[in-house]
Amino acid sequence: MKNFLALVLVLLLSAGIIITLQNNDLFPVFGEAQVVNRVSDHYITKGSTQPIIWGETTDAEDGAANIVTSIVVNYRSFDTLGEVTVLFVSAMGVALLLSSGRTSKRLALNFKPNFMLRVGSRALFGIILMTGVYIILHGHLTPGGGFPGGVMIASSVLLLYLADDEFRSKIKGFKVLEGVAGSLYVIVVLLGLILATYFLQNFLPTGTVGDLFSAGILPIVYILIGLKVGSEISGLIDNFLTEEEAA
Amino acid sequence: MIQYAAIVLIVLGIYGLLTNRNVLKMIISINVMEVGLNLFIISVGYVTDGFAPILSSVHNSSALIYVDPLPQALVLTAIVIGVGTTALGLALAKNMYNKYHTLNLDEMRDE
Amino acid sequence: MMTLSPVLLIAAPLLLAFLSILSKKVAPILLVVASLFNIAVLFFIPAGIVNIGGFDQPVGINLFVDNFSFYGLLAVNVLFAIVVILNLKNYPKYSTVLLVSLAALNGLLLTGDLFNLFVFLEIASISAYLITSSNKKPSSTFKYLVLGSLGSSLYLFGLIILYAMFGTLNLMDMIHQIDVANAPYTSLILPFFLMFAGIGVEAKLLPFNSWAKPIFEHSNTLSGPMIGSVYAATMSLVMARLITNLFAFEGTLLTVVTVLLVAGVVLGEVMAFSTKNIREILLYSSISQVSIAMLLFLNQIGWWGFFLVLVNAFSKLVLFFIINHAVKDSNDDSLHGLKGLFRKNIVVGVIFTIVSLSVAGLPLFVGFIIKLNYMTILAVQGQIWLVAIILLATVVEGIYFIRLLVKLWYKEEGEDLSVHFPLVYKLIFGAIALAILAFGLYSTPLTSVNTTLDSVGDQIEVIYNE
Repeated sequence: MKNFLALVLVLLLSAGIIITLQNNDLFPVFGEAQVVNRVSDHYITKGSTQPIIWGETTDAEDGAANIVTSIVVNYRSFDTLGEVTVLFVSAMGVALLLSSGRTSKRLALNFKPNFMLRVGSRALFGIILMTGVYIILHGHLTPGGGFPGGVMIASSVLLLYLADDEFRSKIKGFKVLEGVAGSLYVIVVLLGLILATYFLQNFLPTGTVGDLFSAGILPIVYILIGLKVGSEISGLIDNFLTEEEAA
Repeated sequence: MIQYAAIVLIVLGIYGLLTNRNVLKMIISINVMEVGLNLFIISVGYVTDGFAPILSSVHNSSALIYVDPLPQALVLTAIVIGVGTTALGLALAKNMYNKYHTLNLDEMRDE
Repeated sequence: MMTLSPVLLIAAPLLLAFLSILSKKVAPILLVVASLFNIAVLFFIPAGIVNIGGFDQPVGINLFVDNFSFYGLLAVNVLFAIVVILNLKNYPKYSTVLLVSLAALNGLLLTGDLFNLFVFLEIASISAYLITSSNKKPSSTFKYLVLGSLGSSLYLFGLIILYAMFGTLNLMDMIHQIDVANAPYTSLILPFFLMFAGIGVEAKLLPFNSWAKPIFEHSNTLSGPMIGSVYAATMSLVMARLITNLFAFEGTLLTVVTVLLVAGVVLGEVMAFSTKNIREILLYSSISQVSIAMLLFLNQIGWWGFFLVLVNAFSKLVLFFIINHAVKDSNDDSLHGLKGLFRKNIVVGVIFTIVSLSVAGLPLFVGFIIKLNYMTILAVQGQIWLVAIILLATVVEGIYFIRLLVKLWYKEEGEDLSVHFPLVYKLIFGAIALAILAFGLYSTPLTSVNTTLDSVGDQIEVIYNE
């Protein structure tokens, strides 16, 4: 009975939403969004009247070739600061909730990985780590950036956890890395306040669009974010996979 | 078409929340709803025949037609926030299991 | 006179939070330093708009400081500092989480961009879940988490529909575009209602507040005052900012929202009347007061709604603190169990009496002055039904508060409770109670205020009509 009522409610809700949106003149039909009328027009043209040419334009307002990166780290970087904080407080929360005492060991699982798995995973670990680092470094030229790259680094650590019963990473090192990377990130953005007049302003020269060393502080910020995210999620995985030492 | 699918996913997630009492299923329902929401956000920015908003050797001028990049940036943030809450929910689920030895919310009466 | 940027209010606690995980011992000290630093910085902030990153709005994000934000920030930071200083010894492990929540609460009141508000709302909510986990009841924290995520997702859904329609995410720009496009109000009903529901979950409005009862039933001296007073004040102020400027309810939506809020008032009082658990009484009284405050903002009675929110926050701080401390010391939380609490703690008893009578709106206290003023304005506006309902609610509230006080003061034979309140509690809460009494007797500062509270509308005129 409760399921039936929930189903009716949900169907009414979806019908209501679809009908309201279709009758709404201002809500654009799928595929006919007028980007020129939106704020995104400034992001694409980077505020200049001439078109930005890949490989030739220098000293643009923001030198990243990846427009989404320029929004995330430059124009709306305050949101990114908030996002980094969300991950930080979630990782802290998991550590707080799942903290075991002084003595902790790996969670006992039912499967026992064999020798081939243990050795082979160490080879794979390097490849995944390198992919993550590549994605972080090229965040301003190709899709990706600090967040997916950091998670890839953490997934290489997860591979080691899954393939080996005895493996436990050095948690203390991760915590220090995470704290230092986070503080450096906030200090970099505060420097924008002191060196330039505005918080988070891009205070290094932006270079040519399309080069690896372009876009001012964007690669630096993404490296810091990637390190922070990677160490945070590795710590999170470790918290889930440990338990109290049997007394 | 894709906007209908996104709305279906959102209401499917809400239905799952209303009817399930198992903690893990509730977390999965929230995730389904968030996936639907993220799809909807991206679909708001689509321009027919537009290119991906990255300047490269193939699309090398900013005067071409690109899809709207702002919803993509919003979705980046929303995905990360969803990951954060899911991690917390799972940690709470582990604590609840250790305390009550069941994963069903209705069976968790204390003392 | 040196001026500092309001970003420091958010960046400083965040920096200290990232540093505090490096050393567990230093973390509580950093927490106290951050909360006092915030209060000090508040006095050096100029009013106006601050662009972050140097990009003008609506391209970039901006922070907005006016009378509303300034006094709201002052109140929230002071309340936060009180909660933190009184709880320093008991909960050292939560220092990092509290630092992050301080940054998020400041950000919520300062921001002028709607997606930024969503991000800060999420940060504040996650910190709130962690603070409530100190109750050691994971199932109630889980219910809070589920409802909170649902609420934030609904808010984001509404915001994206608005973005698709108007192409901007900035609060002032959005209001301007809505004016310019002359949109029929029916097209705005769905997104506005979704956004209202999203923040309503956190602000404990009916019917989105089913998470609140299990959280407060087992609260302690950290989670009770923090969620019931600091967070309640911030979320109410955020909702008030949106109601006054963005939503501008009219037509069907106005009726629906008014009915929901009135139901909140009535049900809150009824539930408070019928329960025996002291903390539930305080919670339901909070819910009905928040609904009344939102009704005031809905009817453009801005200053009195603002005062109601702030005075309520301070009062609930004192009440929750005293009760939770007594419960912790005596290990019993029913109304029956705490009988005669104030026989041996006369000073605390007097403080509790003053504050609770002020919440109920009895004469001599500032609660009565506020109630008198907003009821007269409502009556002048012609909202007789609202005045009648609020009067009825006041009567019910008076009855159950007096009943509560009688139980707490008088006791038949039996052994006395041995609950001890530290001196610092008496000092701080005594100061608050004295202020409530003083403003109740000499209320000219409140009634003679004539500066505008919320200047978003004025700024829009300045920017877009020059």
